[in-house]
Amino acid sequence: MALLQISEPGQSSAPHQHRFSAGIDLGTTNSLVSTVRSGIAETLPDEFGNVLLPSIVYMGNELRLVGQEAQKFQAEDPLNTLSSIKRLMGRGIQDLTQLGNVLPYEFVKNENQIVPRIKTAIGEISAVEVSARILEKLAVRAEKTLGGKLEGVVITVPAYFDDAQRQATRDAATLAGLNVYRLLNEPTAAAVAYGLDQQHDGVIAVYDLGGGTFDISILRLNKGIFEVLATGGDSALGGDDIDHAVGEWILEHAHFEQIDAVLSRRVLIAARAAKEALTTQNTTELSVNYADHTWQGSLTIEQFNLIAEPIIKKTLTPCRRVLRDANIDIDQIAQVVMVGGSTRVLLVPQMVEGFFKRKPMTDLDPDQVVAIGAAIQADVLCGNKPDSEMLLLDVLPLSLGIETMGGLSEKIISRNTPIPAAKAQEFTTFKNGQTSMSVHVIQGERELVSDCRSLARFELCGFPPMVAGAARIRVTYQVDADGLMTVSAEELTSGVIADIVVKPSYGLTDTEIESMLRASMDFAQEDIDLRMLKEQQVEAKRVIEALDAALASDGPSLLDEFEINEVLLHRNELEQQIESTTTDGLKKLIKAVEVASESYVAKRMNSSVVKALAGKKIDEVNF
Amino acid sequence: MKILDFSQSYFDLFEQPLSFEIDLKQMHENQQNLQTKFHPDRFVNASGEEKRLSVQQASWVNEAYQTLVNPVKRARYMLEVSGQDMKNESETTSDIEFLMEQIALREKMEEVRDKQNPLEECDGLVKHLKLRSKEMSDDFTNKFQSGDFETAKLVSRKMQFFQRLSDQVMDLQFQLEDENS
Repeated sequence: MALLQISEPGQSSAPHQHRFSAGIDLGTTNSLVSTVRSGIAETLPDEFGNVLLPSIVYMGNELRLVGQEAQKFQAEDPLNTLSSIKRLMGRGIQDLTQLGNVLPYEFVKNENQIVPRIKTAIGEISAVEVSARILEKLAVRAEKTLGGKLEGVVITVPAYFDDAQRQATRDAATLAGLNVYRLLNEPTAAAVAYGLDQQHDGVIAVYDLGGGTFDISILRLNKGIFEVLATGGDSALGGDDIDHAVGEWILEHAHFEQIDAVLSRRVLIAARAAKEALTTQNTTELSVNYADHTWQGSLTIEQFNLIAEPIIKKTLTPCRRVLRDANIDIDQIAQVVMVGGSTRVLLVPQMVEGFFKRKPMTDLDPDQVVAIGAAIQADVLCGNKPDSEMLLLDVLPLSLGIETMGGLSEKIISRNTPIPAAKAQEFTTFKNGQTSMSVHVIQGERELVSDCRSLARFELCGFPPMVAGAARIRVTYQVDADGLMTVSAEELTSGVIADIVVKPSYGLTDTEIESMLRASMDFAQEDIDLRMLKEQQVEAKRVIEALDAALASDGPSLLDEFEINEVLLHRNELEQQIESTTTDGLKKLIKAVEVASESYVAKRMNSSVVKALAGKKIDEVNF
Repeated sequence: MKILDFSQSYFDLFEQPLSFEIDLKQMHENQQNLQTKFHPDRFVNASGEEKRLSVQQASWVNEAYQTLVNPVKRARYMLEVSGQDMKNESETTSDIEFLMEQIALREKMEEVRDKQNPLEECDGLVKHLKLRSKEMSDDFTNKFQSGDFETAKLVSRKMQFFQRLSDQVMDLQFQLEDENS
């Protein structure tokens, strides 16, 4: 049907030897996907040219939207618009009180649940599932751009992410149907993005200041090997703190009579806008409007720097500590790399330069550098570069330990230990005939178990009954290259491998993952159905437009009134039912229009040949 | 895939002599060469079996390296590979003179903050501890080489005391520097 077919030019390309891989930066505010093409790592935009995908999922109004589309609902339907979900990853019900101020959502109240689930208009959802939707969206973007399926991905995580948070990220990837080559620490990814450009060996400091967190890592680069020497930071320090400080300054000057939630929100928005404006100009005008009172003022860069300085100064303590942990003097640092949107605040690179006595590198976009580094590693891991020397040697960010008598922690593998790492420990029984014992695994640096993060409780059972103290149970803790831990146990005198019953403190059990996977597949089927319907609707509109254009140009000259009415009858029926019928219904109606206009199409073809023969240029003929 | 011989000593793995004096630079290079061969990133597309093996071997290489670069762990490992039972050893020392020194040094550390110039005081203490640690490790080397493992064991225990104290003094030094900046 030449008249009605508006087909895309053939895009099927020859089979490719190259394996497709991508690096994904799953961020708190925005997420990105990046890939290496023709040897160059680049961040991939969506069809509108946006590189950043807001990490937002909308679940309301019988719709499930991700990214920019979801962001539109943030103001009008905040409870069903899920943002900053990364803060919930690997967190338990108990953690919600702490996060309550940040996340306004309504959580399902169920005592038996370990992982919190958010109530939305179209069902309950966990942070892992929300993240999975974001990962899916990015994977689809990458697969569309590359024209093939992704063999595997590298997903970045903050260096300070504990075992539960890393596991949650891996679970999200499983739900999204992605093969994860590796979880990569964000600062390491940034070092890779810069390091491969520069080809310099030496010690690098990566300074990563985000909205709510601060990471600092020291790496040694030697012939393509990136060795993390130490990592540290503050998981509750970031650019948001500067917004709050500027907000306080506003309130001090504005003299509002009462301060409530709405005013606080407006003040924060004004503060953030001022902070952003002062990255490019020396002074900025502020205005906050509340009730009958409008306050206007201006903030100079000098005033702003005075406000921001104490906050940025707080990042220097972890910098000092990490240098000490790495056993590196400041003058040994060859390069300082800046990552994270908050490093755009001009005072940040200035103070970092003052501390490291070296101008920090800001050549790469601080929002994109992490995704780019991840893409470079994914490309190496998928085997596209068999000769590559590149190897990333990372460390455990937080000590792993177990609970001992009196609620004290005993470190098994201390922080900044290179991974993968394994440690074995021997226990004995303290009662006659004892056949089981429990081990509580924790993560953190503090002495008291209650100040550390509970990772899991293991019940070791099934070893043979012996007199107290005779059994020798060896428990092996294994941390893999993703920083994830597994535990195995064996009774040495009998050689019995103890069964381990894991009760993850925050993570999902295998059964939970399985049921979510099933649910997401059901949902995926619905999504596919919906997409096919949308595609048919678009196709129907195209058919109608093409037909209308054709009829307007030559309908009356080629067809008689009866023929025109016959074509129009089917056209109108299709138009009426576009929004109401099913995918199959639409297909039938489109077919009917095509059949009805067959003779018209034939006449147009003849007429165009006649016109062409009459000396008209072919491209002037309107098919 | 090449399989590492887990029965060899950490010294053999890094091609170093069984001695307290080791070539740290050479060891670091050997460590990176080993990781280049065995790190899990080299087995991303391999079978599950090979992946597991790679995690085990890379972990073992890391553990070996971490043991040898740390002076106290190295000393105690030297005794272990020489057939000494290091597991069921008492955690105490009965050397009265040594204990008195420890107590005096701890008191000095606790008083640092009350001094006129705490940072300078702390630096002095760090220097002194470094000197004493060097004397201890020389003592260890002598006893170990002469085959007096029992005394070497006692010395390694003292080295452990000194390392713990040094770590605490360094922590204090760090805190003082941080408060001053």
